[in-house]
Amino acid sequence: MIRDADPRTKLFIVLCISTLGLFFTNPLMQLTVFILGLVTTFLFKASLISTIKRIRKMMSVIILIVILQSIFVKSGNVLIGTENFTIITDEGLKRGFGFLMRLLVILISGTIISTCSMRMLVQGLVQMKLPYDMAFMTSVGIRFLPLLMEEIKDTFTAIQLKGIDIKNLTLKKRFEIMSYIFTPVIAGTLNKAKKLSLSVECRGFRAYDSRTSIIYLKFNKGDYMILTIATLLSLSLILINIYVL
Amino acid sequence: MTDFITIRNMTCNIGDHPILKDITLDFPGKGFVSLTGPNGSGKTTLGKVMTGILPFQSGQVSIDGKDIKSMSLAQIGRKIGYLFQNPDKQIFAPTVIEELSFGMKYKNISKDEIDKRTDQMLDTFDLRSIRDSTSYFLSQGEKQRLAIAAMLLNEPEFLILDEPTTGLDIKRKEDLSKYIDRISSKVGILMISHDKGFINRHSDRIIKLEEGCVVYDKRC
Repeated sequence: MIRDADPRTKLFIVLCISTLGLFFTNPLMQLTVFILGLVTTFLFKASLISTIKRIRKMMSVIILIVILQSIFVKSGNVLIGTENFTIITDEGLKRGFGFLMRLLVILISGTIISTCSMRMLVQGLVQMKLPYDMAFMTSVGIRFLPLLMEEIKDTFTAIQLKGIDIKNLTLKKRFEIMSYIFTPVIAGTLNKAKKLSLSVECRGFRAYDSRTSIIYLKFNKGDYMILTIATLLSLSLILINIYVL
Repeated sequence: MTDFITIRNMTCNIGDHPILKDITLDFPGKGFVSLTGPNGSGKTTLGKVMTGILPFQSGQVSIDGKDIKSMSLAQIGRKIGYLFQNPDKQIFAPTVIEELSFGMKYKNISKDEIDKRTDQMLDTFDLRSIRDSTSYFLSQGEKQRLAIAAMLLNEPEFLILDEPTTGLDIKRKEDLSKYIDRISSKVGILMISHDKGFINRHSDRIIKLEEGCVVYDKRC
């Protein structure tokens, strides 16, 4: 297992997997990228199960989008339908499958990245010559995501504690309630961003032109090996996609 | 007096960490109870368990004779008003007046009645001058007053107030005190607080928690 690989190695792998996942349109190639991503997740000991648990409430929406993607594409050969009414075509099915594969590849990429500590990830980005400000903003942004989820959950709880049974409301009222959930989250985010920027300025952020760091990342032999394998595999898949399929 | 909330041998863990250990308490439907104790002793967790926000692992919690596990958050919300420690968590409508009328609007209460009740609260909690202000950008004290007023407009039978005096100045604290004096004979109140003056002025009973256990429970 290679959990302790350099964050830059993981970033490179994620770059390869996500780029290939978005670039390929052939279902076979998309499936190959997905399987390779899945193998990488296991090699990096990333907890895919916890990612799935986190998005389980969105599963029905994802499945609905896949079905809609499949139904609304009318080009291609009809697989299910009558002479006048088309339900599913092979092209529609291909698009739906493509959407699902891309989504899974993005999830896998996120799971791989989540095995790096935030501090290491920022250091990796800085050593990749990304300006520190941007690396810092990226790390803050990632840290904000669970907070946003928590705020949405809290607002949802607070609404219900006002005695409102959301499940028993009409669809119109439910949509109305949704605006009550997201508006305070957006306002809260703006408030937090303002406070955070004030706080970092007060602590001397960007006080000097250059920064030193107590942590310095170094590639080891394992990292070079992974990078080489990832590059060769990615190139092979691109060549197969161009010349074979 | 019959008990409105009963807790029997309740244990609550967050992750692997035990927060509340074998708690047994009863709260009547009237009177003022203060819950105090050092930081991290489990006061807020107890309040959240009593309102069904947090699950518990063993024991039983009942509201008005009904097991809390069989009740939805909305059903609990109709009986108990909960004031979060951080008012930001419970203010979600864009303006002060909308926040006050929110709960009533979704319970099909007539507009005249909503206007009458909100009007009264605007005066009671000194919110009239900020009636149409954006609620998310109010000061901490204003948010606290708004959260309390909105919770009271829901007319709950029991109130759980988590640090209600935080951010209130002397005058506003006095206003809240007077309001509590007025309602504590009609509804039960559990206040989580470190505010000794406020506790001593209102409490009929003081409960102290330490490391998740009740170490003191005295009627005044």
